[in-house]
Amino acid sequence: MSGKRIAQDEVSYPAKRARSSKDQGEYLDIDNEDDVIPPSPPDEQGLVPRGATINFSALTRKLAEAKRMVDNTVGGPSIDAHRRQQDALISHIFMDQDFSWLHLKPDHASRPLWISPEDGHIILEAFSPIAEQAQDFLTAISEPVSRPAFIHEYKLTSYSLYAAVSVGLQTEDIIEVLNRLSKVPVPESIISFIRERTLSYGKVKLVLKHNRYFIESSHPETLQLLLKDRVIRDARIVTPQADNSIMASTFTTSKAPVKGGLVIPGSREADKRKDDQQNGKPALSGASKDADIFTSVVGVDGDEADEDDDNVHAFEINDTMIDDVKKRCNELEYPMLEEYDFRNDTINPNLDIDLKPATIIRPYQETSLSKMFGNGRARSGIIVLPCGAGKTLVGITAACTIKKSCLVLCTSSVSVMQWRQQFMQWSNITDRQCAVFTADQKEKFAGESGIVVSTYSMVANTHNRSHESKKMMDFLTSREWGFILLDEVHVVPAAMFRRVVTTIKAHSKLGLTATLLYEANWMDLAAKGHIANVQCAEVWCPMTPEFYREYLREQSRKRMLLYCMNPNKFQACQFLIKYHEDRGDKIIVFSDNVFALEAYAKKLNKLFIHGAVGQVERMRILARFQHDPRVNTIFLSKVGDTSIDLPEATCLIQISSHFGSRRQEAQRLGRILRAKRRNDEGFNAFFYSLVSKDTQEMFYSTKRQQFLIDQGYAFKVITHLDGLQDLPELVYKSRDEQIELLSSVLLANESEADLGSDIRAGEGDLAGTVTSKDFGPTKFTAAQRTTGSLTALSGGQHMSYVEQNKSANKKLVKEAAPRHKLFAKREKDKVAARKEARA
Amino acid sequence: MRAIKGVLLQCDPAVKQILLAMNEKQSFIIEELDDYHLVIKADEEYRIRRELEAELEKNTYSLEGS
Repeated sequence: MSGKRIAQDEVSYPAKRARSSKDQGEYLDIDNEDDVIPPSPPDEQGLVPRGATINFSALTRKLAEAKRMVDNTVGGPSIDAHRRQQDALISHIFMDQDFSWLHLKPDHASRPLWISPEDGHIILEAFSPIAEQAQDFLTAISEPVSRPAFIHEYKLTSYSLYAAVSVGLQTEDIIEVLNRLSKVPVPESIISFIRERTLSYGKVKLVLKHNRYFIESSHPETLQLLLKDRVIRDARIVTPQADNSIMASTFTTSKAPVKGGLVIPGSREADKRKDDQQNGKPALSGASKDADIFTSVVGVDGDEADEDDDNVHAFEINDTMIDDVKKRCNELEYPMLEEYDFRNDTINPNLDIDLKPATIIRPYQETSLSKMFGNGRARSGIIVLPCGAGKTLVGITAACTIKKSCLVLCTSSVSVMQWRQQFMQWSNITDRQCAVFTADQKEKFAGESGIVVSTYSMVANTHNRSHESKKMMDFLTSREWGFILLDEVHVVPAAMFRRVVTTIKAHSKLGLTATLLYEANWMDLAAKGHIANVQCAEVWCPMTPEFYREYLREQSRKRMLLYCMNPNKFQACQFLIKYHEDRGDKIIVFSDNVFALEAYAKKLNKLFIHGAVGQVERMRILARFQHDPRVNTIFLSKVGDTSIDLPEATCLIQISSHFGSRRQEAQRLGRILRAKRRNDEGFNAFFYSLVSKDTQEMFYSTKRQQFLIDQGYAFKVITHLDGLQDLPELVYKSRDEQIELLSSVLLANESEADLGSDIRAGEGDLAGTVTSKDFGPTKFTAAQRTTGSLTALSGGQHMSYVEQNKSANKKLVKEAAPRHKLFAKREKDKVAARKEARA
Repeated sequence: MRAIKGVLLQCDPAVKQILLAMNEKQSFIIEELDDYHLVIKADEEYRIRRELEAELEKNTYSLEGS
């Protein structure tokens, strides 16, 4: 699914420039300019001006300008001419992006958006009074590109228009509303693009009814057109009809399903429907205000649109040829929408599942679900919410609405257990109905319907399975699933995705992700208190001269170790920890690099968790962090990116990260978005990124932030931490200490510089969730040859005595509560018994 | 007596390290004064500025580059 998206993103238009302004006298001189400059092809970046490349067209433009200046002075010195002259002076700066020839509507000030005729980008003034309605409309028809505080950018793509049609918007309505909102008349190129894309999309639906596939459409002409195609005609199953009229003999006609009584459990849909009836507002008619039109067009129920197609026509097709037909339809540019009429499905047994009465879903979760169940049937699609906004609950609610057997696929065995636990928590499903299928556990649910939670790789695996898992797979493939839930769809490789989707017969599919399309507006959610407010800051730490010298010499991966271990970064980290601990924050420090992680944690005497830390110790550390007021800081490696849930944390410091991974940045931010204290008044969570100046880290850091910036987060840059130098017990204060640190870094193995080498990928974990790098049993470091003076080798150069900090983790073990004798004895016996059995 | 025309360069310690590294390839530094000051050959100044600029640019992320 993700692969398809990307491909369709890059829709460009033929390079043409509308010359519509030709007949308007006042724009004559600018027209002139248009003729001088050959229209250049639209570039990918759209509105970002290209770097200062000198091109020929700019030169010709300058000449033309000079000529025009002369012309203008000849004409009368009116204010109009003056303005035109000013425009002309500026316009060359914008080069290809000079759109001053577009004709502004007289009341443009009250209209919030502007559409680029070349690449379909839409710029929205988010401060406009009607911006909120416009935003609702734009999220329905286009994809958000960037959403900072005041100016939002959206993009029209064929995929987004396809989605718009699938929620029931009509072509003419889209154009009409767009025109209403736009400061300039909607350019011809855009109108024709919308027409072209929406004409065919969504007109044909593939419906599974009584286990038979039907192609359904409210436009009989379309079906006839499809039937002219040989592939589709062959696949059709003709059922004898008594009626002789042409229409009926060709298709079966039935009443279109209306949303009717379907109410998503836990939502306030019922109340809303009542309100609608009381208002009794006629859809799309007599609405004098702009606002009315938007809401009725954008309305989440989509009822208005459905009323248009009273009758639907359908013909049945052979389910063995369903793939061919789908492909053929795509080729004919009539892609089929897949819908599942689950309420009329009598073949598959119902599953008795409901949300617990106390469960209430949030408005945005409801909105996303109402799109899925738009007309009383289940559509397939992807729901995108930021981390921590309750994706799981959305998935569970959808399962509770469909009430059929359900398969949940997630990325790792850890999240399998989490999903199962969430199902038990939010819904009334019993233990026996919710089964787990992982490498360790293979269960089937009791009864004829139920839920199975598994991982992608367990299901997609094609070669040598154990007997048990093969039996389990047969069970999965042999039956029909009402619903398949795909967690974190963005990390699933396309091939694996296809294999899963083809082997499992499911009526509807729902993908959940935080990072692909970012449908929900993060800033909005934060303002409403669903996720925490976050202050982001980038702290620039200058490299010390010694470290920087080595950095410049080093070409290998060790460079990264050098900028992580920069003493100034150490100090900044210490300072920030101290500062926030004094404020009463709970702090997580992230480092991808395990060597740096341990060095920092030991030096600053804090607890740490990385892949090599055992499960028991991990649990103990986490419990301490959550409950012990003396433990306010922990260091986490990559393992903490996703699988560890810590709602106590309110401050996050990042000392090293995975190059330019935007996903990781967003996921890490997600750790503090769900902070428990988020609803306290004036509460702010903090996110610091420590960056060594003048190194590659600066490059990666800026790149990583792009995603969050597009979500409207602003990064403050801190170049100097006030009071850093006065901090008592500041680490690595003297030059000697710094040099000592440097030599320890230089001695470190090259392999230490590897990122996240600590995490062993569990069986069945997906590549990309945690690092899939394999690490065997701990290797002994190979002998190393170094050159140096005899004094240096004997250790006499810099120091005579070193006191090393012990790992705080070790201390913890010592402190651990003594176990009761009974249990200690039992354990001893167990070990002895095991030894005996082995012998 | 021989005289070389020099330029006093003021920079931060990191840039000084870059310059020292560049100096190893092609010598242009006349005198290192301290962490912040260098004297370099005047006729090399333009080339040094350009190369330094390119070196620093490597660490800057721009939208066009993506």
